[in-house]
Amino acid sequence: MYIHVRTHTNVHGLTTTGDLAVTIRTPTDAGLVQPVLSLRGVTKRFGATTALSSVGIDLLAGEVHTLVGENGAGKSTLIKVITGLHQPDEGEILVDGSPTQLSSTSDAQSLGIAAIYQEPMIFPELSVAENIFISHQNRGRIVNWRRMYADAGEILASLDMAINPRIPASQLTVGGQQAVEIAKAISLDVRVLIMDEPTASLSAHEVERLFEQVARLRERGVAVLFISHRLDEVFRISDRITVFRDGQHISTLPVDDVTQEQLVRDMVGRDVDEFFGRQQTPSSEEPSEPKPAAAALKVEGLSVNGAFEDVTFELRAGEILGFAGLVGAGRTDIALALFGITPADRGSIEVFGNEASIHKPADALGHGIAYLSEDRRQLGLSMPQSIIANITLPSLARYRSRSGLLRTAEERAVAERFRQQLQIKAASLDTPVGNLSGGNQQKTMLAKWLNTEPRILILDEPTRGIDVGAKADVHHHIDELARQGMAVILISSDLPEVMAMSDRIAVMREGRLVGIHDSASIDSETIMRAAVAA
Amino acid sequence: MTGRARPVISENRRWELLLLTILVVTVIFNVMQSTNYLGINNFINLFELSVEKIIVAVVMAFVIVCGEIDLSVASIMGVGACVVAVLHDSTSVPFTLAILIAVGVGGLAGLLQGWCSATLGVPSLVVTLAGLIGFRGLARILVEDRSIGDFPEWFDSLGQSGVIGPLPFSVIVFFVAILFGGVVLGRTGLGRRAYVIGDNAEMARYSGIDVVGYKIRLFAVSGAVAAFAGVLFAARLGSVRGDVASGFELDIITMVLLGGVSIFGGTGSMLGVFTSILIVLNLRNGLGLANVEANTQTGIIGVILIASVVLRNAFARFDTSSLDTQAPPHHEPAVTNHDLTTANP
Repeated sequence: MYIHVRTHTNVHGLTTTGDLAVTIRTPTDAGLVQPVLSLRGVTKRFGATTALSSVGIDLLAGEVHTLVGENGAGKSTLIKVITGLHQPDEGEILVDGSPTQLSSTSDAQSLGIAAIYQEPMIFPELSVAENIFISHQNRGRIVNWRRMYADAGEILASLDMAINPRIPASQLTVGGQQAVEIAKAISLDVRVLIMDEPTASLSAHEVERLFEQVARLRERGVAVLFISHRLDEVFRISDRITVFRDGQHISTLPVDDVTQEQLVRDMVGRDVDEFFGRQQTPSSEEPSEPKPAAAALKVEGLSVNGAFEDVTFELRAGEILGFAGLVGAGRTDIALALFGITPADRGSIEVFGNEASIHKPADALGHGIAYLSEDRRQLGLSMPQSIIANITLPSLARYRSRSGLLRTAEERAVAERFRQQLQIKAASLDTPVGNLSGGNQQKTMLAKWLNTEPRILILDEPTRGIDVGAKADVHHHIDELARQGMAVILISSDLPEVMAMSDRIAVMREGRLVGIHDSASIDSETIMRAAVAA
Repeated sequence: MTGRARPVISENRRWELLLLTILVVTVIFNVMQSTNYLGINNFINLFELSVEKIIVAVVMAFVIVCGEIDLSVASIMGVGACVVAVLHDSTSVPFTLAILIAVGVGGLAGLLQGWCSATLGVPSLVVTLAGLIGFRGLARILVEDRSIGDFPEWFDSLGQSGVIGPLPFSVIVFFVAILFGGVVLGRTGLGRRAYVIGDNAEMARYSGIDVVGYKIRLFAVSGAVAAFAGVLFAARLGSVRGDVASGFELDIITMVLLGGVSIFGGTGSMLGVFTSILIVLNLRNGLGLANVEANTQTGIIGVILIASVVLRNAFARFDTSSLDTQAPPHHEPAVTNHDLTTANP
């Protein structure tokens, strides 16, 4: 019999039934089951900062245990402790009930602890089978290729994955590569599998496949520690949910005993609407102003070969036009064409009534078009550079003094203004952005593009991988910008977000714009149906 | 040179400190080693023998910060020197015009390489390796087996212990080049862009920077400056042969890398390059005064280069030791900040 050690009583007092009850009510009858892995009173400090403060968590065989919390809540540190990358300063780690030292990642691996991250760690040039067996030792000196392919095929088949083990991993989608990582974990007899935001870069369809695989892992008796910012997913997949905040354990509850509102409250420590809920139809709000209805952006018959075909739409100033659709439907490609990264092959772009020929990003910026990339690590920010240097990067010419030197005081003042306006939390404006949390990086990226003073702002997944609080902040700022008259294109795979934020919603399917709807008069099922099939 | 928005500040600072320590040790060693070391003539000697390399090294720092490399600089120096010599020897082109033409040829050579690398996407290592071979061939074709000399007197004196005020010409060139390079790299938009391009060229493109144009121009400047340095070298030697300045690229790249500019681009400072140049010069000078033969000197420089790269990597690992470098999805800000400061060895 084990007793859940709760380090913090629930702030809302909603789970006064006690911890024992909580564990007993898990599907696997946890009260009688020995956890595969337990952390007890684990504290991890980095100098004066306490990243984890006496936290405890139990992972049971055949259970999907989800960990949620804002960035900076201590999730990453916990993963690093479990995978042997960090050693706790206090507390103990129990594997099958006995105290264990995890002093390296190989220690963790040999105990059957593996982790899968948002970006698959895969060798793209190697075959699927080689990737699956990459960390196997004692395979003998000479590779028995036939056997390796056969074994790989067997593992993939057991997971119902239709993947040819002989093809190079680079030919797989992100979802496919994650599947290979799961197969790799299975081949290593994984007992505890940590999945750190595995759905963040997957399409809706791939997410479904992943969840099927997670269900299989659960059937096999693997303890899954799942981490996600998408609350709808969390509720779909979890058996139990643990909330961390500021390095402290807040609550652990079976999924049936917790509501979305309560989860958000636990994570943020206050009430937050997950979606800002934009006050819609700005045109009807100002009937007194007879607007000439000059389109900020008019796109006609735009095509990029192999990406999208014959796209036509209009965007007014002060309007938010949402783009919904599956990943790969051509939404980002339209943005890249408008921003001059991959110039359009056919069609015309008109910006505030003027024909615009856009062949490179500088052309787009010249027309007042800014594009916030979906990939902030690779395409959005220069990680080793300071917040200041990142914010002023696209508009550096403005800070050139007559002598040619940069007016650094002015740069700093501008960055400071954005820090206050967008509430970017950082030790200093000279902090490299790589040290910021995802939400603050996202805000820095927003500042970078706002500083170009755009008239048309294209936002591609502006809240991907950021926590609830930061998400609400970003939504608020987007709404504010539209109010001030900016024309906004919002591309998001987060359907509720598109629904809540947009005035109109364009739906893309397989490179075609299949319809533009008033967001007030359409529901999410209709959008999804339009996005998947006719 | 102490640009405010420089990346990876703590790491760079510590590297510069380490270099400074090595420099001080080298100087103390030299002072104890030889009474000649502190003489003014030796001081002049110290810079004069390497002034051409130093000028090229300043531009090379930009190239490497950008994540590129230019192996062809010594061959283009040779082309520059040979173009001047041949024009002087076989035509009636005025000498100053000949110098301009030589610099122009160097610029064109660099432009060509930059275009091949940036537009066609061939790695600059390959393009400029071809340049190293090809332009050396061009220099040899130009002067064949001859040794061309008899330059105008003003030109010879330019390279041979010219003095402006109390300072020798070469020392002035050294400080001006370093200071100019440092200000451009640390305090202007040009320098800022070099760091960003070196860190992540694709991201720079997504920020509206004309990466291709920047690189082509940078290689053109590198070629032009190399050719000019070759001309200066010709002035100092007083005569030019086809193999003039050959092998210089290694010393030049050593100066930059030892100075802490990462071979992968995106980091480094001119202050580091400045210190590393002084180390290399003092070391060679001191070893020379101690009658260590030239080949052994080169060997020692080689050992120092390897040691510097190994040490620098060790520094970088210290900085990131407690971060999960393989899995970067989210770092807690306070924690990573702290890691950076406590990892100080």
